[in-house]
Amino acid sequence: MPEMTRRERILTASRGKRADRLPFFHWWRHCQLGWAERECRNRGMGMAWARPSYTTRLHDVSVTEQEVVSGGVTVFRKTYTTPVGSVSYDEQREPGTGQWHGDRSWLDVTPWFTQRLIKEPADYAVVKFIVEHTEYRADYFPIEQARDWLGEDGIVTDIHPHTPLQTLMIDWVGSEGGRFFIHHAKYPDLVEDLCQAIAKSRLPMYEIAAKSPADVILCGDNIDGVLVNPRLFEKFFMPEYETMASILRPFDKLLGVHMDGRVAVLKDLIARTPIDIIEALHPPTMGDLPIGEALAAWPDKVVWVGFPGSVYALGTEATKKAALELLRDVVPGDRLAIAMSTENIVSNDNLRMVTSVLENAELPLTPESIDRIEKSIA
Amino acid sequence: MAEDKYLAALRESIVHLDFATIETAARQAIEAGIDPGTAITQGIVPGMTIVGEKFESGEYFLSELVVAAEVMKMGMKVINPHLKQADRHIARKVVIATVEGDHHDLGKNIVTTLLITQGFEVIDLGVDITPGRITDAVKEHQPDILGMSALLSLTMTKMGETIENLKEAGLRDRVRVIVGGTPVTPEFADIIGADYKALNALEGVKKCVEWVTPGKGGQ
Repeated sequence: MPEMTRRERILTASRGKRADRLPFFHWWRHCQLGWAERECRNRGMGMAWARPSYTTRLHDVSVTEQEVVSGGVTVFRKTYTTPVGSVSYDEQREPGTGQWHGDRSWLDVTPWFTQRLIKEPADYAVVKFIVEHTEYRADYFPIEQARDWLGEDGIVTDIHPHTPLQTLMIDWVGSEGGRFFIHHAKYPDLVEDLCQAIAKSRLPMYEIAAKSPADVILCGDNIDGVLVNPRLFEKFFMPEYETMASILRPFDKLLGVHMDGRVAVLKDLIARTPIDIIEALHPPTMGDLPIGEALAAWPDKVVWVGFPGSVYALGTEATKKAALELLRDVVPGDRLAIAMSTENIVSNDNLRMVTSVLENAELPLTPESIDRIEKSIA
Repeated sequence: MAEDKYLAALRESIVHLDFATIETAARQAIEAGIDPGTAITQGIVPGMTIVGEKFESGEYFLSELVVAAEVMKMGMKVINPHLKQADRHIARKVVIATVEGDHHDLGKNIVTTLLITQGFEVIDLGVDITPGRITDAVKEHQPDILGMSALLSLTMTKMGETIENLKEAGLRDRVRVIVGGTPVTPEFADIIGADYKALNALEGVKKCVEWVTPGKGGQ
């Protein structure tokens, strides 16, 4: 069999078939362009982009941004004014934000919300108005452009926002001090009504994605079973994934969902979803579900592992040990791809160490082949 | 017997996560002449203990724990003004913070809630707290335990810097240090010189209780 390209390798594994080697790749948003990155790419590392297939346009909503001092800190306040009232949020931006890419600081951190969009019950009606006056329009240029740049060196995913409840929990209401849970307990009708409005507004976005040039539609849901308990997952998340899959499937798109938290408590429910790719799954200790156990629990799903930053923090020897342990946990290595990080930038030394382990991970993996890999980098 | 009725109402408001009844239950307890300290120790705290047990057994999740704590706070708001100074004395103290550069506070807040249910006084410094500010707080409040939290592998190094600061200030030997957060591993805790890495909120709080319990590691 001729050697697969990096793109073929990732997509073959993502469709549940056996690739020639275990695919591994670096997300562009966490990638340091430079000599180490080039070296690792030359040794088999692929690249992955996350770009949207749509733009949004707000109708009857004006948006302004100001730099203000709040609580002694300089923040950026974005205000949305609608015929039914105004809402605003504040964010604190670390150095570098807006100066390189992806709304991230030099240290790869996104801005911190210091004030959320929804603060009190009256804000729900305003945000609902905004949601109902958001138009989604197809714009495939960003994906086509990145595909053209990458060629066979990797894949471009079509990135989507959090599903409705997660949009409230993580973005608009926020979970600081457990605020979302308190809102949901105190104002269940407001929360659930807004969730339904968001879900309805997103249907055109899914239809646009179905015709996207990207093979993988990635919902950036940041699922963590501690925050998203099984009751919430079953009631609010699973139906949304069903909706997405029902629109994407006829167009042969793969649905991936970003699940980078502790998901053991959701394991059985995840098995029942139509998700194709569980993306960013972290092995213990950052996650709580060993990758081998996850693959066994989800026989019709593919796992894209997020290599854990907690291991990188311990240095290259710990990184080597963890990478080898990961291989031993997933023998024979099917239905799997490994992302160098889904969290932050990886040091050159760690990037090269993971590459040293993975560059010779031919499939199917066996205990003997992993021993040989270990000896080759001893 | 009447006292039991009022204390049970407090407990049930918390266990049932009932915002609608907690203030009335607290007010009625006070109006019925129940000692405010008793209302807390035999009404509020047992309610939170049951919630903690349900959380531990998997019947309740984080959402219920958070809401129970909020209900508890509403009850405490009614009872607190009636507390005598003597009732406010709490033997053991914890200073807790999310470290510099990190604004995640959910884990820290859960631990704080659970510590309160175990009778600790908790000085919660908040989020994005520099090593210097944590060190100053340890100096000022002289806690038995310092808890630090981080959710980012980028920020967890600040835990180590804080421990170094404590050493330089001559405070390290006076306080036990427990660290927690998703990226924090026991190996990392060892490297930075922390005393313990909490696997999760419940387990971490148990360790804190153990540390302050005579014969189990406490003095």
